[in-house]
Amino acid sequence: MLELSNLTLAEGRVAHLDDVTVSFRKGRLTTLLGRTGAGKTTLMRAIAGLAEPDRGRIALDGKDWSRLAPWQRPVAMVTQQFINYPHLSVLDNVAFPLVRRKVPQDKAHEAARDMLGRVGLGTMIDRRPSQLSGGQQQRVAIARALVKKAPVVLLDEPFVNLDYKLREGLREELVDLLKAERETIVIYASTDPREALQMGDDVILMAEGRAIQSGEPQNVYARPGTTRAAEVVSDPPINLIGMEVSGGQLRLDRLADLPAHALGRDLPAGRYTLGLRAHSIRQGGDLSARVSLTEVSGSETVTHLQAAGQALVMLERTVTNHALGTTITLSLDLGEALVFGAQGRLIEKEPVHG
Amino acid sequence: MRTLYLALKYLAVLLWSAFVIFPFLWMISTSFKTANAVTGGAKWLPWLQFEPSLSGWQSLFGGVGGINILKPYANSAIVTLSGSAIALVLGTLAAYGLSRFTFKAGPLKNGDITFFFISQRIMPPIVLAIPFFLMLRFLGLLDTLPGLILIYVAMLMPIAVWVMVDFFNSVPRGLDEMAWMDGCTPVTTFLRVILPNALPGLVVAAMFCLIFGWNDFFFAFTMTFTEVQLLPVSIVALNSSVTPWWSLSAAAIVSVAPLAVLAFVVERFLSRGGLAGAVR
Amino acid sequence: MYRQKYIFLLPGLLVLVAIILFPLLFTIRVSFSSWDVYNPGLNWIGGENYARLWEDARYWEALTRLSVLTVGTVLLQYTLGFALALLVWRDIIARRFFRVLFLVPMMTTPVVMSVIWRTIFHESLGPLNPILDAIGIGAQPWLSQAGHAFAAVMIVEVWQWTPFMFLLLLAGLLSLPNEPFLAARIDGAGPIRTFLSVTFPMMGAISVGAILIRLIEASKLMETVYVLTSGGPGTSTETTSYYIYIRGMRDFQIGYSASLSLTYLIVMSVALTLIAKALIRLMVKDRT
Repeated sequence: MLELSNLTLAEGRVAHLDDVTVSFRKGRLTTLLGRTGAGKTTLMRAIAGLAEPDRGRIALDGKDWSRLAPWQRPVAMVTQQFINYPHLSVLDNVAFPLVRRKVPQDKAHEAARDMLGRVGLGTMIDRRPSQLSGGQQQRVAIARALVKKAPVVLLDEPFVNLDYKLREGLREELVDLLKAERETIVIYASTDPREALQMGDDVILMAEGRAIQSGEPQNVYARPGTTRAAEVVSDPPINLIGMEVSGGQLRLDRLADLPAHALGRDLPAGRYTLGLRAHSIRQGGDLSARVSLTEVSGSETVTHLQAAGQALVMLERTVTNHALGTTITLSLDLGEALVFGAQGRLIEKEPVHG
Repeated sequence: MRTLYLALKYLAVLLWSAFVIFPFLWMISTSFKTANAVTGGAKWLPWLQFEPSLSGWQSLFGGVGGINILKPYANSAIVTLSGSAIALVLGTLAAYGLSRFTFKAGPLKNGDITFFFISQRIMPPIVLAIPFFLMLRFLGLLDTLPGLILIYVAMLMPIAVWVMVDFFNSVPRGLDEMAWMDGCTPVTTFLRVILPNALPGLVVAAMFCLIFGWNDFFFAFTMTFTEVQLLPVSIVALNSSVTPWWSLSAAAIVSVAPLAVLAFVVERFLSRGGLAGAVR
Repeated sequence: MYRQKYIFLLPGLLVLVAIILFPLLFTIRVSFSSWDVYNPGLNWIGGENYARLWEDARYWEALTRLSVLTVGTVLLQYTLGFALALLVWRDIIARRFFRVLFLVPMMTTPVVMSVIWRTIFHESLGPLNPILDAIGIGAQPWLSQAGHAFAAVMIVEVWQWTPFMFLLLLAGLLSLPNEPFLAARIDGAGPIRTFLSVTFPMMGAISVGAILIRLIEASKLMETVYVLTSGGPGTSTETTSYYIYIRGMRDFQIGYSASLSLTYLIVMSVALTLIAKALIRLMVKDRT
């Protein structure tokens, strides 16, 4: 188990890591999910020893890493940029980490050739990295990272600079490759909630340098602990709507007044925030809203709407074209609605009674 | 209008070309002259205006009224090459360190240290001449090759640092970090990963070191007397008294020729856009 | 963790400190002594050398002459170098041949070429005067009259170092983006307006860099003078470096020449810093 405790790293007044305490389990792929600048890369660089935390501790199986230089840490890393050694052939690139670890040349080449075969570059071992396409270059980088069988593998948005189709394919290949490594801790950073939830055995949500929630993907998705976590984990963006409960009435700010039982639970009077995922907004109903943007992606349509000053996002599992500026009618499905208290903390639907 | 413009353009180019070539043609022509051909007023064309002779060229190897140029030539080559090599090694190492790691000595940081290196080029040689002179005398290295090499290292290292800091700053840091991940220490990273990829920078730096080393006269002149003579000094020595212009010209040609070839190398870099980064 | 970093920096730094910094500090001490051929050694005479220097008209004349010579030649080199770079920048026959040719002089050893120039300027045997005669200008007393000798030094400096300006400016021109030129052509700007409003402004930073490097180098001027005129006739082409050389290495007045060279270093550093600031304000539009 790789444990990080109280990891803090600030540069001037900007906190890149703010008291991060998380752990990663062996044989599992943990995704770090957060927006750009949330601290994912810094966290990985700290694990690799490339960034020096001001405070906190990193330990693998109880062994402290803080005094280990980057080249002493049993870590492999693939970054967003396609970095390979320009002066070495593809084969020598992949054999390099083994040769540096005193593996005999022929054994290293054998392992490298095997690994290159598995990433589908078996026929290109004599080329230089500059003679390969972007996707192929990144495969070389992945092969170089995996060939040394490091106990910790860091993947920092490895496919973000590739085009969409290539990304999907490579991601599946990578997951297959990693399944074989039963003792490895794999950490994968992503800005894409769907990717992170789909790939990860565990997921850690990050925002503003803090690890705000961790757990199994379904769990984190279904019960984000705060409004911030709900935002990070939802794609398309979750609709957060102010809500007032008083005297048997639910008053959704600027949208609608509903009977208290609409949520299917009792809430004491007060201010709340209602979290409504985009697929819980449906076309047809008694709410009206103006279309401000429509995006079709695959077989889904995401529509951004304005309803009396409240921005809403609607997801439909069909291809629909809503003309810009037209007014459509909506209904809200509160069945999966999340309710957050005044501090933005999730209020569970069925609180566990003592 | 356009024809006139073109005519003026080519006229300007040709005029400047003539100005550039003028001393070279004169030097080549003179190197084949004898005393008679020199004293009778300026002549240019062999066979037509004067009877060419090889005596100027023969005098380079110790003929009458000439100098033996082999020794100074070898001295210049030894001092320039070893001075450049040492300066390049020390300068490249320092440049890599300054480009990749943070150093602090009191209030001084990387930028100040880099400036300290490069600012040595601002120092007029005459300011350093006296301390150098006293230092070499103290070390017993006046008028010796090692003494000159030492001075040349100090003179050329700033150039190497200047070119190489710029070069290393343009090499992505991610490359070093990948090498660290693959188990290389900073020293092995430098030797196995950075150096094999630094050839373009090294070529530019070496070229500048060779130009400034080979073309130096001042230190070669002030730090030696009789034992060690470098090429420029031995040629300037011919400048005095009754000047054997033919020997002088022949010596000048062999002295200038090796570096003139570098103009082709520089032009290649220029046309490929490789110099823009190096000179900024 | 990164203790190895010192392996990179220290060898070079220590060598440079040992060879340059210590001797320089030593020079400061020497400048307060009367060290010369008769009394070698470090006595303390206070600021006497500096007082003598203040009264030394020959030193200040040399410094003034050097300033005129430096600024004059560098401006000439810049103008000519820029013009040449523009000429062989784009469409011209045998472009690469001319580029190589224009670069050659800066590769040659300055003193060696100065020796050749001295034969060219020779009043009765050199090739220059017959040519001037033929085109009706008439023979000139190149190295025997003050004004002519001054001009001769400038001609040699321009021949030798215009290629350096040419190199930096051409490198700059070749790295310019193409879009502004396309835009200018679409706007129907002629070559002169394109130069003034597009090319020249974009070359501001590199121009300042090139001019400063040349000013620094030119302010060290002494070898050309030594070979061509030996400072003469009289002291009419003597530069500061050359005068300090005479006092220090020929008369062996170590103490006095130390004070001369330190003053020279300070004057030059201050002047070049001021010029650098002025040039940057004048020519670099957007400071990024």
